[in-house]
Amino acid sequence: MRRVIGAAAAAVVLAGGVAACGNSNSSGGSAGPTSAAASCSPAGIKHLLFKPGVLTVATDNPVYTPWFVSNTPTNGKGYESAVAYAVAAQLGFSKAHVTWVHEPFNSVYAPGPKAFDFDINEVSYTPQRAQAVTFSNSYYDVQQAIVALKGSAIVTKHSVAQLKTYIYGDQIGTTGLTYINSDIQPAKQPLVFNTLALAASALEAHRIDALITDTPTAQYMASAQIKHAVLVAQFPTVGEHYGLVFAKGNKLVDCVNKALAALKSNGTLAALQKRYLGIYLHFPTIKP
Amino acid sequence: MEQNQPSEPVDPMLGVGARTAGGAWVPPGAFVTGGRAPRLFSGGGRRGTVVSTVSTLIVLAILAGLFLLSPGARDVEHAFFSPPNMWQSFIGNPKAGYYSVGGAIWLNIRMFLVAEVLILALALFVALIRLSTHPALFPIRLLATGYVDFFRGVPLLLVVLALGLGIPALSLPVISYQHAVVYGVVALVLSYSAYVSEVYRAGINSVHQSQVSAARSLGLSQQTALRYVILPQAVRNIIPPLLNDFISLQKDTALVGVLGVIEANQAANIYASYRFNYSSFTVAAILFLLLTIPLARFTDRLIERDRRRRLAGATQ
Repeated sequence: MRRVIGAAAAAVVLAGGVAACGNSNSSGGSAGPTSAAASCSPAGIKHLLFKPGVLTVATDNPVYTPWFVSNTPTNGKGYESAVAYAVAAQLGFSKAHVTWVHEPFNSVYAPGPKAFDFDINEVSYTPQRAQAVTFSNSYYDVQQAIVALKGSAIVTKHSVAQLKTYIYGDQIGTTGLTYINSDIQPAKQPLVFNTLALAASALEAHRIDALITDTPTAQYMASAQIKHAVLVAQFPTVGEHYGLVFAKGNKLVDCVNKALAALKSNGTLAALQKRYLGIYLHFPTIKP
Repeated sequence: MEQNQPSEPVDPMLGVGARTAGGAWVPPGAFVTGGRAPRLFSGGGRRGTVVSTVSTLIVLAILAGLFLLSPGARDVEHAFFSPPNMWQSFIGNPKAGYYSVGGAIWLNIRMFLVAEVLILALALFVALIRLSTHPALFPIRLLATGYVDFFRGVPLLLVVLALGLGIPALSLPVISYQHAVVYGVVALVLSYSAYVSEVYRAGINSVHQSQVSAARSLGLSQQTALRYVILPQAVRNIIPPLLNDFISLQKDTALVGVLGVIEANQAANIYASYRFNYSSFTVAAILFLLLTIPLARFTDRLIERDRRRRLAGATQ
């Protein structure tokens, strides 16, 4: 865990410096010289695209609020949909020149050619994952939170010792599980579900006491998706961030990182976060 | 008794044996359904051994060549067969976010053992109901038939999900507060008992009617005849197909993973999605093979032993 935090923090610091000087060697593997970075126009990056002339963006199916709205990535609503279109606009692609494809989480990191330019699906950066794929810099810095049913014990009793007594559930591949095992260290083994929907069903069926997921998702689940659920609290930040996923070594990441840096400095990312995630972020932080 | 047995129930068994032994590898007389059973390691003496060795090496070389010459071989090798990743997923490290695949297979083994015992009992019960002839039992026969049709027709995964998510949601006392593994095993038992009851039924039907008549004429009651004359013969006939189903059951314990239970396949899945490396699935596959191959060879041996015994009986 410490190693992950350290490396993630280093990556963030590095990314900041990199964005400033326009060089790119952050997410390991995008080891190309920056000659191509001179022109990040659609014409300049034509040879890097999966389909010439269009930006092909992948995400899972189904996708959830507040990252997407109505399971329709093409509507430009929801934080990730909006970020994808903002990045596309920054690279010079109009809305009509962005296509969306479905890519299950497990096949995003399969070796071999990818059927997309980048994937946007709340994928956390870790150094180990960066050995299999190339990540962009952060488009969202994320924290984990607890969702539980109203009236259950954990809502009121979540001291360090009490947190160890519950049965937790988590979606596979999320960093919540690492957090549960390394920081909470519960007495009973958590349940790990393939999809968030299954984890939500388990919570509703009282199979688990609490579900751990990122704060915006947690708040959406508590407020709209699961009846009688409540967001209990969020955990302190561990330097976790979401990155766009590229095929290992895809040099398109240089241009996308430039676009993200521009969106960060001109306030677009902050505005989109406020618009789509703002209401989800005011929660107490507890420390196990 | 053995001489009286009709040949119908025997041939399908030999058929199973022939397929299991992979007769296709031995060109001369590959499929022998009569006097000599095809075996995995056989051939016409020394020359046959040479031929089979050479052909095996050629086939392996072609497969290895196809793999190594493909442009993505290095990537696939790293993604699926990376030794450090295989080792780490095998030993696990919960604090780093993933579990031991090697430890998790123990849960599969326990689920399999418990489910197997329950299946053998429930399936026999269902088969006997379906074979009963008393008019008063008609509604139960109808139920049993409906049960078999339903659970053979519905995908096992859906049964696991329906029980694992549905029963806890009912909030019934005790029943709704079991561990997810319990619902998973119940789903396996319900689904597999439907198949195995049909195997039992075929086995019982394969015992010739004259056996019943002979037993009854000796003064045995219907139940006693069933218990001491029919079932022993039936069960011996169906051991190979039964074991075949149990090999399948061993693998299907992996489906319980969808309920969040960390069995071998789910542990591998967790590792893969943490590290973006599929080598953990290779580890799970190897572990499942280590479980199923001994049972498959044991089945072969039973078939062989049974065949020898029957032939011995025929020469008396």
